Amino acid sequence: MSALDEARRGSLDEIVDGRHVIVCTGAGGVGKTTTAAALAIEAARRGRRTIVLTIDPARRLAQSLGLSRLDTSPRPVPGVEGLDAMMLDMKRTFDEIVERHATSADRVERILDNRFYQQLSASLAGTQEYMAMEKLYDLHQTGRYQCIVIDTPPTRNALDFLDAPKRLTDFLEGRFLRMFLSPGIAAGRFATRAVGVGTGLFMRAASRITGATVLDDLAEFFQSFEGMYEGFKDRAQSVYHLLQQPGSAFVVVSSPEPPSLREASYFLRRLARDGMPTAGVVVNRVTVTPGGELGIVPPSHIAEVAATMDLDDDVERATAALLTLALEARAIAARQQQAIDAAFHGLNPGRLIEVPLASGDVHDVEGLRWVAERLVASRS
Amino acid sequence: MDSRALLDPRVLLVTGKGGVGKSTAAAALAIASVRTGRRTCLVEVEGRQTMRALFNTEQWDFDEREVRQDLFGLSIDPEASLAEYLAMFYGAKRLSRLVVNSTAVEFATTAAPGIKDVLLIGKVKEMERRRDADGRFVYDMIVVDAPPTGRILNFLRAPEATTELVRVGPIREQAQSLIDLLLDPNRLRIQLVTLLEEMPVAETADSADALAELGVQLNPIIANRALRPRMDQAAAKVFESGMTAETVQSVLGGSGLEDARTATALRELGERHLRRLELQDEMRAALRAQTQVPLFELPYLATRSFAENEVSLLADVISAAVSGDEVPVGTDPEAQR
Repeated sequence: MSALDEARRGSLDEIVDGRHVIVCTGAGGVGKTTTAAALAIEAARRGRRTIVLTIDPARRLAQSLGLSRLDTSPRPVPGVEGLDAMMLDMKRTFDEIVERHATSADRVERILDNRFYQQLSASLAGTQEYMAMEKLYDLHQTGRYQCIVIDTPPTRNALDFLDAPKRLTDFLEGRFLRMFLSPGIAAGRFATRAVGVGTGLFMRAASRITGATVLDDLAEFFQSFEGMYEGFKDRAQSVYHLLQQPGSAFVVVSSPEPPSLREASYFLRRLARDGMPTAGVVVNRVTVTPGGELGIVPPSHIAEVAATMDLDDDVERATAALLTLALEARAIAARQQQAIDAAFHGLNPGRLIEVPLASGDVHDVEGLRWVAERLVASRS
Repeated sequence: MDSRALLDPRVLLVTGKGGVGKSTAAAALAIASVRTGRRTCLVEVEGRQTMRALFNTEQWDFDEREVRQDLFGLSIDPEASLAEYLAMFYGAKRLSRLVVNSTAVEFATTAAPGIKDVLLIGKVKEMERRRDADGRFVYDMIVVDAPPTGRILNFLRAPEATTELVRVGPIREQAQSLIDLLLDPNRLRIQLVTLLEEMPVAETADSADALAELGVQLNPIIANRALRPRMDQAAAKVFESGMTAETVQSVLGGSGLEDARTATALRELGERHLRRLELQDEMRAALRAQTQVPLFELPYLATRSFAENEVSLLADVISAAVSGDEVPVGTDPEAQR
């Protein structure tokens, strides 16, 4: 039996039962939030004190989880004993960290007012990933939860979740930036002086690209941040280590389409390289081969039978349509299985769970339970 | 605005939520644009090389290459645009090379993240304005596979944000001309792509509002992978009112498909199909209730995946609409081949 066949028999049962941190990751639009919420509901059902941290849930799903856009603290999920849900607000989380860790009240104010900080905290690529890590660290530190399920931000590339914190801390640490920020230079005179005394081609080029005022804002920002870099770095490292522990689990989520499957396989490799504990792959919304003879006889036979139907008769015309639908479902199912096999060829995803396409949107607790049952069902 | 105007502007920025088939739609629009006689450039901005796979060509890069007759392909990355930009403004090949290869680029673009986007839009504007020796525009149409809706607002606001953040310097000067391009509906429009499903529809409606507020002009929204009814109304009515699995079984008597499990599976397929059509209708209504923008639908192709063949079939649908030919609902482009 190939590793992939073996993986197909796995389920997330023991993951939901035993892991402390479960990270759902994958390309955008593949059902990460739904998967995270379903796993959390199942963990809570098994009596574990659980929280699901989501980034950007669909409106109806958010409502079902008892979340509103204006609220970013943990809230109990209505109708689910032992489950809290929480939404991540990147900017507010960043502000809170500054408030908590800045060395003086004056500095807090200077940072929060800095134009560069405002842009950074709202839009710098990687900030959201970093803030998700910070929140995870917080939730872990409180010791209130046995199981923390986290949904990663919809990044262009699923790898950003692992790389971004390092990129952000590197940036904040500003190895090369701080060469230019000797403490003696007061903000405001920095750029002019740097260019004026000929700090070199580097600064001339940089200020040509950005304009000189940006450098002033930057100088002020970095000076205010002095003394906070280490904390950022330490926490990012703690979370990274926490995620490496066997008590953590990464669930790679994908759709059955080649682009997101490609990202999923890429991410699997990357997790292995970083020594991260991978629980497996969840492929959402898979079209199932139709039952009975429809999945067994040659498709041409189904088409032939459809062609014998009398199109002047409503019932026979309806039956012909059903046969066409069966042919389509079979073609889609075959194409998807091919794509899944191709994407994970030569890899060992550990567990591979295919969640069938539901006939409607999954947006309430009942729908999430339906998904959860499929995630933990044993299929040996 | 009706669907005949789909290809009227000279620049289309194609955006949508992740997973809705934004790149497929961009490629189909570009092919339709060529088929309706426009010299076209298809631009990829996130360096994912999706189009390379689709058209089965070499890597796409910063050189515009003719990938099919009258269809050019280009992949813009910020570093290359920055080098070209510096060379253009300073004639400083030496400086630009040095800068691009140094951490200064990373520094500048991290310090003011919008600069990357300004450079991308700047490149598109340059192509839009470019004329040949006879004074004619080189491209009739530029289709940009733009960032997804989650980032499109920041992308479009970048020139303005830049004018606020960067108070002097050449980028500041260029930013104003980009704002002019973005706000001119004859030159540029935003092409939203969605699926007729809850999440994408909600995000599309939100984006449509925010984009309108920004003052950019929207093309009709493309609803990708729209399921076509497989049953006409009379057949659907019969199916819903009492056509049981047993009925199906007796109709299929002697065909080799007359067992009970097959009949039940067929019955379920029909129910699911009708439920999904109903859901699509709800989504159309939700979009209509939330935005004034008309909808243009591309059919779901059951048997194909993201490949030139599929995109070509979708381009047929767009070309027909642009030429004012009727595209009757329920048309199955796969069946026509």
